[in-house]
Amino acid sequence: MTAGAWLCLAAPLAGALAITLAGTRISRTVAAWISTVSVFVAFAGAVWSFFGLRAHGSEHPALTTAWTWLQSGDFKVGLQLLVDPLSTMMMLIVSGVGGLIVLYSIGYMHHDPEERRYFAYMSLFVFSMLLLVEGGNLLLLLVGWGLVGLSSYLLIGFWHERPTAVAAAKKAFVMNAFGDATMALAFFVLIAHTHSLAFATDFNVHLSSTATNLIALGLLGGAAAKSAQIPLHTWLPDAMEGPTPVSALIHAATMVTAGVYLIARTHPIFEQARTVELVAAGMGALTLLVAGLVALVQTDIKRVIAYSTMSQIGYMFLGAGLGAYANGMFHLMTHAFFKALLFMAAGVVIHALDGEQDMRNMRGIGAQLRWTKLAFLVGSLALVGLPPFAGFFSKDSIIAAALHAHWYGVILWVVALVGTFLTGLYTFRMYFIVFGPGEARTRHYGEGPWTMLLPVGVLSLLAIVGGWIQFAPIWTPLTHWLEPVARTLPVAEPTSFQEGLSSALAVVLGLAGIGVAWALYAGRRPVPRWAGLQRTLEHKFYFDEAYDALFTRPAAALASMLRDGPERDWFITTPTELGDDTITVARGVRRIQTGLLRTYVLFLGGGMAVLAVVLLVTK
Amino acid sequence: MLGPSTAWYLGVSAFLFGTGALGVLIRRNPLIVLLSLEIMLNGANLALIAFSRHASNGAGQIFALAVMAVAASEVCVGLGLVVAIHRRRLALDVDRFSELRG
Repeated sequence: MTAGAWLCLAAPLAGALAITLAGTRISRTVAAWISTVSVFVAFAGAVWSFFGLRAHGSEHPALTTAWTWLQSGDFKVGLQLLVDPLSTMMMLIVSGVGGLIVLYSIGYMHHDPEERRYFAYMSLFVFSMLLLVEGGNLLLLLVGWGLVGLSSYLLIGFWHERPTAVAAAKKAFVMNAFGDATMALAFFVLIAHTHSLAFATDFNVHLSSTATNLIALGLLGGAAAKSAQIPLHTWLPDAMEGPTPVSALIHAATMVTAGVYLIARTHPIFEQARTVELVAAGMGALTLLVAGLVALVQTDIKRVIAYSTMSQIGYMFLGAGLGAYANGMFHLMTHAFFKALLFMAAGVVIHALDGEQDMRNMRGIGAQLRWTKLAFLVGSLALVGLPPFAGFFSKDSIIAAALHAHWYGVILWVVALVGTFLTGLYTFRMYFIVFGPGEARTRHYGEGPWTMLLPVGVLSLLAIVGGWIQFAPIWTPLTHWLEPVARTLPVAEPTSFQEGLSSALAVVLGLAGIGVAWALYAGRRPVPRWAGLQRTLEHKFYFDEAYDALFTRPAAALASMLRDGPERDWFITTPTELGDDTITVARGVRRIQTGLLRTYVLFLGGGMAVLAVVLLVTK
Repeated sequence: MLGPSTAWYLGVSAFLFGTGALGVLIRRNPLIVLLSLEIMLNGANLALIAFSRHASNGAGQIFALAVMAVAASEVCVGLGLVVAIHRRRLALDVDRFSELRG
């Protein structure tokens, strides 16, 4: 089964290298298929590992070490892969959904002049993400973490001739680098105290609570940046500048879920720092609320979906922060299905309208894209969490888990329920605007080739049945599967009454949200507006403006001040003057170089005499 | 110890060295410069031998022999240069060879 893990990791890397090295010697179609096949081979490897682990029993994880990678004193890090329930689950999601997205890209990117580069990046991205989830110690996880940041930068800025795309890529990279830095600092503290970066199943080392809290905070910083949680979330909506399949890959299957994976993976540390873990839960709750509100006023279809991603990751953070790791991971999985579906269905619409992303210009397209409309509806219902769609099963158990954390938990519970109402509202606002009645625009491409429709179909199916593998508290194979690695804390296990109450309320509120959306947006009635609220929402709660005023502008002002002050006066003038002075001195000194033998002898003799006198005097 | 004291020898040695140095500094004929150089070396040799005798240590004498060997080779090269200069019908004047001035 470890061979499967190695295959899973190596295939996308080989694909990326092959496409890069072959360059223009292979046609675009060949490059696209190399990438697709490499990711599906990775999926096969993941399936192989999964069945291998099942045969062994999920309580026997396999850690395989290729070689010692780093050694310094008693600190040793190996190039290790870990096959355990958590990593196989992530491998399956990443390579499976990733493969479908790459397949979809073949159709979507067909007209793009730089397809080869695109597919090389896609393979690299999948490789990075697989390294992140398969790495057998925290250092390899960090390597994957950084590579994911790099490849997301490359993909978000793929259309490099658009200044907005370049800016968005930079923003994503800087925000992520911030998280990487806090994570690296946490690792330093960890190395200093425990001399190890191995994944610990129980974190029993005697550490001061300060050290533990610092480590947990650092890890939380990394997780929040990668998963776009407040306050490090501003990069995610801007990242919609990339091609739509990239958005699907980043926002559904891979990158943004890494934070949840990190919390589940390092939960022994977080459990020792319970306060930080509860901060993570609160962060998730705040994010799901804010993102849900902002999504209400967006007009760009991809941005609405992006905010809904932030909101759903907020649910996952809420679950993982409360200690319901399995529920968080379960929601991660179903979210990967329906969010990839929504993005790709939106991609079909955008593709059909030749790049149009404004929802208001899409009205009437539903009549021409019937299958896409249906797929979008399935994705939306799964997102809102209505039974029997996938979101229902995963979201409600997270909401129920909140009820156990005293008054704090009740607040989180209420916020999460408000979130379901908002989810229903913004999702179906989007649905009714895009597929609502209206005069159809001329269509350009239709529903697209089979490479686009097949993944949408498969994911529609998964968005329906994907949640059926677990129905807490009656039927919990997934929780059981993850138990050896990420056992749900007893405090996060709701009673069946709480579970039932939360589910019922969530469904009712979701339906209410849909109802309000129908009343407001389905017809042609004017939508009520509150100017102040709308302005706040359209400015995304002024996060970008605040960061601009707090960090960007002072940094730019300081930089220009330093440039006009010390830099020009000292660092540019001084070297020039130094050079000029050297030349002046050299001109003077040159005179004693007469070329006459006697002068040299005189200097030699004089020097000797002086030395002799000095020696005599000092002796 | 027979003969004059070491100080006398050193006096003669310093005189020889000074004479030689003066010759090197003020004469322009390369031949004379070479001769003066020899006188300087011999002044140094005399000092070495005087100290050797003073300290009853043979090392100084060995040094003097080595200096003589070096002096002989140096004279060979020096005279060779003088002959080469003469063959090219250049003036035998060290001050004329100052192309390396700054």
